[in-house]
Amino acid sequence: MASAVALLGASLLMVLLWMVFFWVPTEAVQGVIQRIFYVHVPAAWVSFMAFGIVALCGVMYLWLKDDRFDRLAVSAAEGGMVFTTIVLLTGPLWGKIAWGTYWTWEPRLTLTLLLWFIYLGYFMVRNATENPERGKRFAAVVGIVGALDIPLIHVSVLWFRSLHPQPVVLNAEGPALDADMGITIGMGVLAFTVFFFGVMMLRYQLECARARAELLEAR
Amino acid sequence: MNAYLRQVYAVVRKDLLQELRTRQRVATMGAFAVLVAVLFNYAVDPTIVRIQNIAAGLLWMTLIFAGIMGVGRTFALEAEDGAFQGVLLAPIPRDAIYLGKVISNTVLVTVVVALTVGVFGLFFQLQYGTHPVALALTLFLGVVGFVALATLFGAVTAGTTLGEALLPVLLFPLLVPLVVYGVGATGRLLQNRPLAEVEGNIRILGAFAVACIAIGAVLFRHVVED
Repeated sequence: MASAVALLGASLLMVLLWMVFFWVPTEAVQGVIQRIFYVHVPAAWVSFMAFGIVALCGVMYLWLKDDRFDRLAVSAAEGGMVFTTIVLLTGPLWGKIAWGTYWTWEPRLTLTLLLWFIYLGYFMVRNATENPERGKRFAAVVGIVGALDIPLIHVSVLWFRSLHPQPVVLNAEGPALDADMGITIGMGVLAFTVFFFGVMMLRYQLECARARAELLEAR
Repeated sequence: MNAYLRQVYAVVRKDLLQELRTRQRVATMGAFAVLVAVLFNYAVDPTIVRIQNIAAGLLWMTLIFAGIMGVGRTFALEAEDGAFQGVLLAPIPRDAIYLGKVISNTVLVTVVVALTVGVFGLFFQLQYGTHPVALALTLFLGVVGFVALATLFGAVTAGTTLGEALLPVLLFPLLVPLVVYGVGATGRLLQNRPLAEVEGNIRILGAFAVACIAIGAVLFRHVVED
């Protein structure tokens, strides 16, 4: 099941790549670089969705103390961290050409960077306890507080920017979307989401197998 | 409810009494705040920037760094000799322990912030603006929000092998709203801007503090469970 979903996701990604490189029209103002949009935005969507899953599973874990929720949370967090890294790598590449700079304190950029660090804290806490059960609880707490704080961070960095307008002519959103571009970005979101869930499920199975192995070793 | 407040008070009293007898945390935090102001003096070239113009940012950074030192010690002190086990064995709810610790830490960090503000006034001829009460309120609400999060994560890091070194990693990303609105309000108050300009910031700082306390009170029991 899990590998089937992951394979489906991977094939959708192939279709997406074909669409991005050969099918979708080139954006009039930004040119070829705008094609990174079809990777960048779906990756960002998946990273935030993953963090939602981490927080929800964290709540369920603290509530029911069922290890399965923790395994699900850590699987989502690992996927989320990978996709957040993709966002942070593709963003500056696009920004360098579209905005003229690799880094700017654009609110969404800032938020993604902080998200990456919250994920980092999540894993550091998890791995820095002698008692694994304690690490799971700590990680859940970090995930929950992080998810609750993210909207606040978003609002505050938006507010901060409104005081200091960027000397940027180009808008990140670009012009209203052409229908073909809409289809491609829709395909991107679909492919990334399916692929993410496939990988997450594989990771979850791995975590379950590891737990079983530990149980057998203990016997 | 009355009984609950008494339990919170018992924790506050214990923490403050301990601090009063050792004076460890206030002394280290206070010395840190003063010495960092000395270093700031040499870190900023007055022929390039006026230190008064960036005082708000320096003030908040001092608050956060000194606060991390002080609050991080809360649980480290009690980890010795298993003293915290005793606190947990006491027949009081975990959130009462958390609230008690938040209050005692707030008292300590507020003392240090007051000292820092005084030292900045002395060292950098910092004028406190025309609304000192609003300035004090801004800083106080910032301290409460900071302490609420730092106490929760201080309990987390005390339970890890990395200890207090992990605290900034967990805390700093979450403190962004605090710094944005806190420094925004403080900077404008120091420049004598009208109160109406910072009212919104102070409200948000208050809301942030309340939200952090609520989150901490709910989650604290899961942190100190064992």
